[in-house]
Amino acid sequence: MLRAIDVPQTTAEALTSLARARDALVIGGGTLVMPKVQAGASGLGALVSLAHCKLDKIAIKGDKVTIGAATTLAAIGEERGLAFLHSAIESVGSPTLRNLATIGGNLFTEQPYGDVAVCLLALDAEATVATRRGVKKVSVAEILKKGIGRDAIVTAVSFKKPEKGTWFYRKAMRRAANSASIVTIAALLPQSKTRVAKARIALGGCGEKPVLAAKAAAALEGQKLDADSVARAGALLIKDTAPFTDAYASAWYRARVLPVHFRRAILGE
Amino acid sequence: MPSTVVTLKVNGRAQEFLARPGTTLLDALRESCSLTAAKKGCAQGTCGTCTVLLEGKPVFACLVPVETVAGRSVATLEGLSDGDTLHPLQESFIELFATQCGFCTSGMIMAAKGLLARNPNPSRADVVRAISGNVCRCTGYEAIIDAVLAAAAKMKNATPIRKKAAE
Repeated sequence: MLRAIDVPQTTAEALTSLARARDALVIGGGTLVMPKVQAGASGLGALVSLAHCKLDKIAIKGDKVTIGAATTLAAIGEERGLAFLHSAIESVGSPTLRNLATIGGNLFTEQPYGDVAVCLLALDAEATVATRRGVKKVSVAEILKKGIGRDAIVTAVSFKKPEKGTWFYRKAMRRAANSASIVTIAALLPQSKTRVAKARIALGGCGEKPVLAAKAAAALEGQKLDADSVARAGALLIKDTAPFTDAYASAWYRARVLPVHFRRAILGE
Repeated sequence: MPSTVVTLKVNGRAQEFLARPGTTLLDALRESCSLTAAKKGCAQGTCGTCTVLLEGKPVFACLVPVETVAGRSVATLEGLSDGDTLHPLQESFIELFATQCGFCTSGMIMAAKGLLARNPNPSRADVVRAISGNVCRCTGYEAIIDAVLAAAAKMKNATPIRKKAAE
């Protein structure tokens, strides 16, 4: 049973509200937390909503993008300056869900959900994290590994917009729309003189949280993007991952199809 | 625990009620406003039968704590018809047999209403995408998609006539 729902008007008020109760959780759109409330989650006494904290702005200055944590996935899907992310956004849930779900919340989603977090990891995005002690920048990679602590709130994420032709995304699903991930692949592969200058590959459906495929990325660096190099890198993906079994797919199946969807993502098959 | 007074603008009318912490928009509509068109299916944001429009956009009412949308405008299926005159979406759902048991119908129509408000000329794929959060276990969806497209066509043809009448 919930004791209280606070709807603060500023981040500072939200932090105060969060500090007041040890059993409080932050909610953005509610798509992660409210199902638990509805199912009678125990140990959850209060919610602190970010809905009115004015954290829903998208700022694009040159190639620097900053997105407020409470920005809905629908709003990102409508932002022309973020067209490279649109296929990822549309692969998440349904349009109705995306009218509620926020980009900040996506960081705290467990796989096989949270495809936008997979993208943020591939983009090496940074989050702005506010506590009552101050504001700091923390990499999304670190947040996905360690969380942020119960007294902190992610207020924004920021990243460098990828140059044309350097961003790759593919999500394997059970049906064309509104499905969790079998495997999700997001890759940032800037090239110089037709060779991969630097590779950063993030995977979903391959662990509780999105993971980086460092070995596969290292194998792609300095290579031309062709069937051979992508196959070699694809074979290494599994080394950094631990695919799991759930209602969508078995761990065996996920491991088996991961290199296939990787090849399709990178070579556009 | 203390309830709070919440005011919503529902189908154009102000509604004021008491809400306990944790009350969803769906429960408030059904129990405090006696608007029972939006159904409680999964209560997990998965089935879509609770879909209503919040500030014109379709949302799962079962996932929205009502305190977080105080003062906002909500549209439910009950507000769709103009007195005894059905909305083109309602008409088309009847004409094209797009409803069987009826449990998903309210959510389907509200998701479609949200789509047509943004995109009056949708493709079949647009309709499929718009209702992808709504589960129907009877129809196989085809009749529903047909009905939404038929309603879109009707609304496009009707607009100039209505405008003329208003003049």
